[in-house]
Amino acid sequence: MKKFISLFYALVLFAGFTTVAKAADPIRIPVLNWSSQIVMANVMAQAFEELGYDVELVPAESATRYEAVRVGELHVAHETWQSTMAKPFYEAMDKGGLIDAGSHLAPTLEDMGVPQWVIDENLCPGLPNWEALKSPECQANFATPDSEGKGRWLEGPYEWHTDVMPNRLKGLGLDDQWMVKFAGSADALWAELAAAKKEGRGTVIFNWTPNFTDAEGFVFIEFPPFYQGCRIEDGGSVETTGCGSPIGWLKKAAHIKFPITHTSAYKFYTKMEFTSGNIGEMANYVDNGGMTHAEAATAYIANNRDQIDLFMK
Amino acid sequence: MSPTISCDSVYKIFGANANKLLADSNGSVDAKQFQEAGCIVGVNNASFDVEKGEMLVVMGLSGSGKSTLLRCISRLTDATAGKILVDGEDICLMNNKQLVELRREKMGMVFQNFALLPHKTVIENIAFPLQVKGVSTENSMYKALEMVELVGLKGRENYFPRELSGGQQQRVGIARSLAVEPDIWFLDEPFSALDPLIRKEMQDEFLRLQGVLNKTIMFVTHDFDEALRLADRIAIMKDGIIEQLDTPGNIVLNPATDYVKKFTEDVPREKVLKIESIMDPKDTNASDNLKVSKDDIIESVAEKILNSKEIIKVIDPKDSSEVGSINPSKVIKVLFGG
Amino acid sequence: MDKNYLETIRNSKPAQFGILIFIFLILYFLIPQSENNYLWRLPSVLKGIPLAINNVIFNALYEWFPLKVWDPVFEMYEEKAAFREFTKAVSQGLLFLITVVRELLLGGDKIIDVFVSDSWLKENDWLSWPALPWTATTVGAFLLGYQLNGIRLGLLGGIGALYISVFGNYVPSIQTLSFVLITTPICFVLGLSFGIWGYLDKKVETALQPVLNVMQTMPQFAYLVPIIALFGLGDHAGSIATIIIATPPMIRNTILGLKRISPEVVEAGLMSGCTKPQLLFKVLIPAARRDILNGVNTVIMQCLAMVVIASFVGAKGLGLNLKIALNSLKIGKAAEAGLCIVIIAVILDRFTKAWADKQKDYFENLTFFQRYKLLIIFAISVVIFSIIAFISGGYFDKINYLYVIPIEKGLTIAHYIDGAVDWVWETFFYSLNSFNKFLLTQVLGPMKHAYLGMPVIATFTLAMGAAYIVGNARTALIVGGMLLFIALSEYWDRALITMYMGSFAVIMASLNGIILGSIFGRTERGGRILLSFCDFFETFPSFVYLIPVIFLFNITDTSVLIAAIVYATVPATRYTVWGLKSVPLSLHEAGTMSGVSAFQRWTNIEIPIAFPTVMLGVNQTVVFSLQMVILGALIGTEDLGQIIFGALSRTKDGAGVALTLGIFVSLIAICVDVIVRNWAEERKKALGLA
Repeated sequence: MKKFISLFYALVLFAGFTTVAKAADPIRIPVLNWSSQIVMANVMAQAFEELGYDVELVPAESATRYEAVRVGELHVAHETWQSTMAKPFYEAMDKGGLIDAGSHLAPTLEDMGVPQWVIDENLCPGLPNWEALKSPECQANFATPDSEGKGRWLEGPYEWHTDVMPNRLKGLGLDDQWMVKFAGSADALWAELAAAKKEGRGTVIFNWTPNFTDAEGFVFIEFPPFYQGCRIEDGGSVETTGCGSPIGWLKKAAHIKFPITHTSAYKFYTKMEFTSGNIGEMANYVDNGGMTHAEAATAYIANNRDQIDLFMK
Repeated sequence: MSPTISCDSVYKIFGANANKLLADSNGSVDAKQFQEAGCIVGVNNASFDVEKGEMLVVMGLSGSGKSTLLRCISRLTDATAGKILVDGEDICLMNNKQLVELRREKMGMVFQNFALLPHKTVIENIAFPLQVKGVSTENSMYKALEMVELVGLKGRENYFPRELSGGQQQRVGIARSLAVEPDIWFLDEPFSALDPLIRKEMQDEFLRLQGVLNKTIMFVTHDFDEALRLADRIAIMKDGIIEQLDTPGNIVLNPATDYVKKFTEDVPREKVLKIESIMDPKDTNASDNLKVSKDDIIESVAEKILNSKEIIKVIDPKDSSEVGSINPSKVIKVLFGG
Repeated sequence: MDKNYLETIRNSKPAQFGILIFIFLILYFLIPQSENNYLWRLPSVLKGIPLAINNVIFNALYEWFPLKVWDPVFEMYEEKAAFREFTKAVSQGLLFLITVVRELLLGGDKIIDVFVSDSWLKENDWLSWPALPWTATTVGAFLLGYQLNGIRLGLLGGIGALYISVFGNYVPSIQTLSFVLITTPICFVLGLSFGIWGYLDKKVETALQPVLNVMQTMPQFAYLVPIIALFGLGDHAGSIATIIIATPPMIRNTILGLKRISPEVVEAGLMSGCTKPQLLFKVLIPAARRDILNGVNTVIMQCLAMVVIASFVGAKGLGLNLKIALNSLKIGKAAEAGLCIVIIAVILDRFTKAWADKQKDYFENLTFFQRYKLLIIFAISVVIFSIIAFISGGYFDKINYLYVIPIEKGLTIAHYIDGAVDWVWETFFYSLNSFNKFLLTQVLGPMKHAYLGMPVIATFTLAMGAAYIVGNARTALIVGGMLLFIALSEYWDRALITMYMGSFAVIMASLNGIILGSIFGRTERGGRILLSFCDFFETFPSFVYLIPVIFLFNITDTSVLIAAIVYATVPATRYTVWGLKSVPLSLHEAGTMSGVSAFQRWTNIEIPIAFPTVMLGVNQTVVFSLQMVILGALIGTEDLGQIIFGALSRTKDGAGVALTLGIFVSLIAICVDVIVRNWAEERKKALGLA
């Protein structure tokens, strides 16, 4: 017993020292919980390995990875969405340790919208124009038991954009007719989409593109156009805060030492700029093609060899 | 030859400021006074010797301090004051290592509730003291097997304690305490948790073992009959004080205090007294037809003596030498009084 | 006359409670709701605490006791805080151990990498530990079970491993297993060490109690952020998160077990000539074996229950797969992964128990081959199956089914599970929907408003009053002090919502548990079946049903509460079954002779006698309910959980916020615990069971 315990401690200490002593770190890439992100991680992993690096895929949470990149636990965060992740991204950058490694080509849009069948069944005549939301009939179609008669907007988790959506309702003068409910996670959003479809009821829900929901059809509501400073959070007023979302960026973050420790991998990483089509292709291999994430990455690289070679130059 | 165990003014007082109180009291401890000061007196000025091969039974009711005394001598608890010599060495001064050594070589102890290790089988329990001593598994197992046979548990060596009856469990306890072949054997109310029939059987078994092994024994009990049955000498304790320490015969015949008297009153003498205690000096008229041993209990030989109607020789069983004589009239007096 | 009344009240708890509730109602309706009224809401003077905690952590991590460390990248000395280097070393050590077990079973070159240079390894591609084919693992599981406790346990191990392999979960299962095989012994060693320390030193035990209380009641999400800050991401971080939750029961069980050893056994050990270490390792620990094993059992269960949450901080394996499957609403797939977790839990549990009960035969005279028969069979099967797998590698196209069956190619019952979910939805949706509407508008909505409309002075009066009635002034002060800590923060309203959801879940789960336990627990067989259901729901990841309940109940409080009630019914049921078992047979006989009906027996004999035990179950129910209510943040709530969960993305003060709010949840649970425990103790004394 005693021997066992001391052996155990010795082993831990030994392991701690030996692994610390190893200088050359593998490149650590976060794996989140949606297909395109995981496949992209695998594409990068395979490319980095081709460049001669060791790679480790690390399960992570979308929100926590910026802190992890900042302190060097992860080397990259390769899918950073403007509206949901800009805040932790910039916070980490301000604290030091995280650098901006450029953007993908894919434009992103993250906003409130409705699934295609809502349009097809005409549950809210006049959509996607936001003015359609003013009609009481439309509002009634989106009421839920706990919305006290109002129509419900299902926002993503509160910390994604805090009070932007409640403020927008105020700005548009819709706050007497509509209320905002915050879902707890992306999982909850997709569950709501599936449930609403089964019931054939309407739902106004936060979503983004490119996303796997694109395949089923999703229509974003057209709000008054966005301009810098229209939102209350950015210095706007109640009158202007009804503006919609900007066409956003999809950024790549890296740890501050990554360019020095793994120079050619960093070069690849800065050049790596995927389009919406690329990202959709990656997700499609898994979501509809039944491949594993690694297989999907291999297939993507085989299919887009020129593009990858271009990044590698 | 010095006594195996020798206690000199041993005190055990429980409580936070026991040492100071004891020092202030100059050796005369009053239990009541101490209790008011928040201390409980366990053993109060105990002095006695136990000779090699002797069986001393410590008798007292619960709370009388008898188990505490035993634990002082085995140093399971530290005496507050006094000297306790085992084979001439003061165990109170021993360090941990010496103590472990002492227990491994010289002491064995049996407990009231058996105190078997629940996770070990019969044989593992018995081999345990050998194994902690560092005896190889094989040797300790063979030694333990011998012990199993000695206490009559052959065939049950792979049982767990929970699978045994109380009597059987105590046999294991006894075997374990004997495994290292100790010189000194402590027994703390070993048969109290057993039902009366089993108790009797175990006492017989115990006497048989002692006949074979001839250890120095301290035996604690609250049962006066048991004490009388087994003891060479009995120490009767009350409130931590040894009221009387003497042979069973003397205690029954001459109780020293009222407290002791209460125990002895209802004791049928013929069941306690040995021939020795009522025999007369050697008598030349004594018959040669019948001899009794001086160690025989009166009751067991009464019928023989009364039937012979003559004066009978009393001998020492050790060397068959004549040590006295006995007159049937004396036996009648013990049996029927007057 | 007056005096008589007072006397009656002093002796009657119901009367005292009546008065308390009366005062509470008066306060409730009299205090006006206004921002500036301190009787309505206390000022949030403790606003700064989260940030302060955060600063402490980050100071320790980045500034405290700096060391000069040579940085080979920037070729300069860099200041690194000692604490961070320490946590790094711990992380690396843990990760290494997990990797060792993982690679032994799954193959790889990371262990070899430790001992040789990188470049040499790269040149020698062949140098890699081979993976164990699943066939060999299955045989191994069977043989191990057989060796431990005969053919039945062997079949359990073998069939379990076969199921996992054939259904394509071999790799993630082994990943999870390696995580558990390292984490469990660490919890065991830590728990045992602290338990022994607490047993030897009363002061340590007293100091441990509140720490353990907080560790056990704190929602796991609350310490994920600090863990990432301290230890980074990866299997080791998951392991540390698990250690925090799984070690306390081990410590408690160890202390309990050691305390229960009769002093005579200790003396017997001493008189056998044990040295102190011998006494500890050969007498005390083995004699407390039953309780310690219960502790180990709990540790294993907790480790597997944490598998999903551990994947939030980077643990690989079934938890991660489950999370990914849920994200695309593949509920059947998620459930399959969950099932594998349960299977691993059951196998490990039974194996450890059998191992602990295993008897040694000292007198068997065996040859080398007899003694190591099973080991040899295993070795042979490894070789044979490896060869078969290697040869057949050419036969299969791309995937070698005899090595590992990947998840996409394994058998699956996922579509049946999905079908079942659909069926439930189609069959029950409309009735459930109207039930949901009713519940939300008539029960939950009003309840929530009632909680939020409670003046702070009324809440304190109620909680402290109840604590005083069941306990004493000290109990009341403890409860009051803990609540005050929350009330002085800016999160009191959120805490009220947590309390509302928590109390609803606790009441429903307790009722469920007591009723289920009473119906099925009265027969030996029924009780056993019920208890194994309890085991199942305790290890089966709640995430699997957390998301599908949204199908039935939408993103509402109902969904959160249903999940919480399902999960929290487990302890209430379990303790009810135990409590009913503890009713002495003589009482049953006495009842029968008095001619009671079954229902009278239940209300007049069984429930009162089982009450103290059942209340301990209710205590556990509180902890379970709060855990799930906080986890309900994944569905969408507006309570403390939402902030705790949101803190995951707050780089600035996330660690501090999460910890502070986690402690708040703990405090709520501990308050209830204090009151309920006192009550149960009192009932116990009244029944003469103490």
